[in-house]
Amino acid sequence: MWKFLPYVAKNLWRDRTRTFLTVSGAAVAMFVFTVVGAVQEGMASLNRGTQTERTLIVFQANRFCPGTSRLQEDYARTIAKLPGVQEAVPIKVFMNNCRASLDLVVFHGLPPKQLQKIRDLKLSAGDWPSFEKQRDAAVVGQSLANRRRLSAGQRFSIGEVTVTIAGVFTATNAAEESFVYTHLEFLQRTPGISSVGTVTQIEVLLAAGSDPMAMCRTIDEKFRGGPIRTDTRPKGVFQSRAVGDLADLIGFAQYLGYACVVLVLTLVGTTTLMAVQDRVREHAILQTLGFTWQCIFGLVMIESLIVSLTGGAVGIGAALAVLSWNGLAVGSEGVTIAFSTSPMLAFIGMTATSIVGLVAGVLPAWTAARAEIVESLRSL
Amino acid sequence: MPLVEIHGLTKEYEKGDQKIVPLKDVSLAIDKGDFVSLMGASGSGKSTLLNLIAGIDAPTAGTIHVAGTDITKLSRTQLADFRANHVGYIFQLYNLIPVLTAYENIELPLLLLPFSSAERQKRVEIVLEAVGLTDRSDHYPSQLSGGQEQRVGIARAIVADPAIVVADEPTGDLDAETSDQVLDLLQRLNAELGTTFLMVTHDLKAASIARRRLRLEKGVLLEPEPPKIAKAGKGA
Repeated sequence: MWKFLPYVAKNLWRDRTRTFLTVSGAAVAMFVFTVVGAVQEGMASLNRGTQTERTLIVFQANRFCPGTSRLQEDYARTIAKLPGVQEAVPIKVFMNNCRASLDLVVFHGLPPKQLQKIRDLKLSAGDWPSFEKQRDAAVVGQSLANRRRLSAGQRFSIGEVTVTIAGVFTATNAAEESFVYTHLEFLQRTPGISSVGTVTQIEVLLAAGSDPMAMCRTIDEKFRGGPIRTDTRPKGVFQSRAVGDLADLIGFAQYLGYACVVLVLTLVGTTTLMAVQDRVREHAILQTLGFTWQCIFGLVMIESLIVSLTGGAVGIGAALAVLSWNGLAVGSEGVTIAFSTSPMLAFIGMTATSIVGLVAGVLPAWTAARAEIVESLRSL
Repeated sequence: MPLVEIHGLTKEYEKGDQKIVPLKDVSLAIDKGDFVSLMGASGSGKSTLLNLIAGIDAPTAGTIHVAGTDITKLSRTQLADFRANHVGYIFQLYNLIPVLTAYENIELPLLLLPFSSAERQKRVEIVLEAVGLTDRSDHYPSQLSGGQEQRVGIARAIVADPAIVVADEPTGDLDAETSDQVLDLLQRLNAELGTTFLMVTHDLKAASIARRRLRLEKGVLLEPEPPKIAKAGKGA
């Protein structure tokens, strides 16, 4: 069958405008499919990570946007003394936009020594001592660095906050790569924020074997009579609530992904059928020469597969390149969902386009293969 | 034993309420190396008979033995294999594949057979030379004249050295001069290579090159014309 590949390729080239348009359509559809897949993958990986299930977030009760949550910084010291708590880290959160955004920049100010204890970050540029020594130093996630074209040594401002980038990090959790980590004290003292002694949230890392839900109740009970009441939840629950509306939208977007696949199916199927209808006589000639109907079937299937796979490869490749280059993330209330690109996403996309190419080719291939030779030879 | 042996061949089909019988109880034998022309008025059934022998149409009744095989008993796939191995087909309208060069068009039937790349190349080069188109091997059909296209069609039909070559009005779309060239070529191939030809034609001059001339009238095969007429042809 592979001996006939040049013939198949020449046929595709013969109707190159039609082929180009179909490949373009398939590419656009698979681009969207991949973007949807990337954001879903980001959503799925949001709560993935070795420490997520034993991490709690203490927030001010009845507050949602990080800008409105103001806890006493010394709550962290109190919590750290509770049995079963390994680490309690006060975090000041500052961001450029509390609502849903595709360009959310989130600063997390925390004691620099504690950052590496609660986060699995690896610096791809810069160094940790520079971060720890300099008061306005920050480490920036790779995705954000890509999106904003940031590099180590550069200064970077959002609103009143201006930091010096001491390093760029990668993280096991893609969502982390949209964050900026800086010093708690620096962020608390930034003019315009000026919230010395208060933090947005306290991140609590539990010792192995501790019951997260019981600890949530214990912490909230502890501060029930305090100046600020707390609302403590496991990190996964906290993040899911923060991006709740987005999660619904992202969940709905999967139908957009399915629609893209159907679109490719329709496009490739229609084009292949048109090509077959244009070549009724030609297929009859081939059969007269001795091509079996199975061979004709195979040739049309290969044609359909090539169109579909080419469109898929272009669309998926472009989507992966754009997403990797831009480091896009969608976020809400300080929680970001990264558009996660991975070899698996590319594999799923290419598998989908292969299946679509094969399914789209079946009807045209059957039409071509089972046509009566004499009748087809008479056709114009 | 004849190369082609046909017994009681009938072809019927229905068109609306009408039953059409293009061939009725036809029996015929063609020897290996023969050159047979088949004449008749339009609708007399000559193309139907040609298509049945070529294995691209199925009869309603009767048997067709070609090279010892009763092709009426073959499945669709077996028939395709049979055509690839035993039949060359020359069309009136050449029917070359437009996206393939002359060389590739000729090579096409060989791709279905167990020939090595070198063997295919050798065969294509030989037939290109035989039809006088060596210098046009990389030309596409649209870059060839009608006569050249038909010569490529003939080369494609003979390249696999089939048991029989059937030609459906091979000069029907050519001018007189080019027709003569094509007929000369067919005659030469028959004489030099011993290729068996069955040619449907309207043209008396074309028919005259055949050693044996048959006539179909309303689906009935008439007695072959006297040998003296056949001998008068160029190929006699």
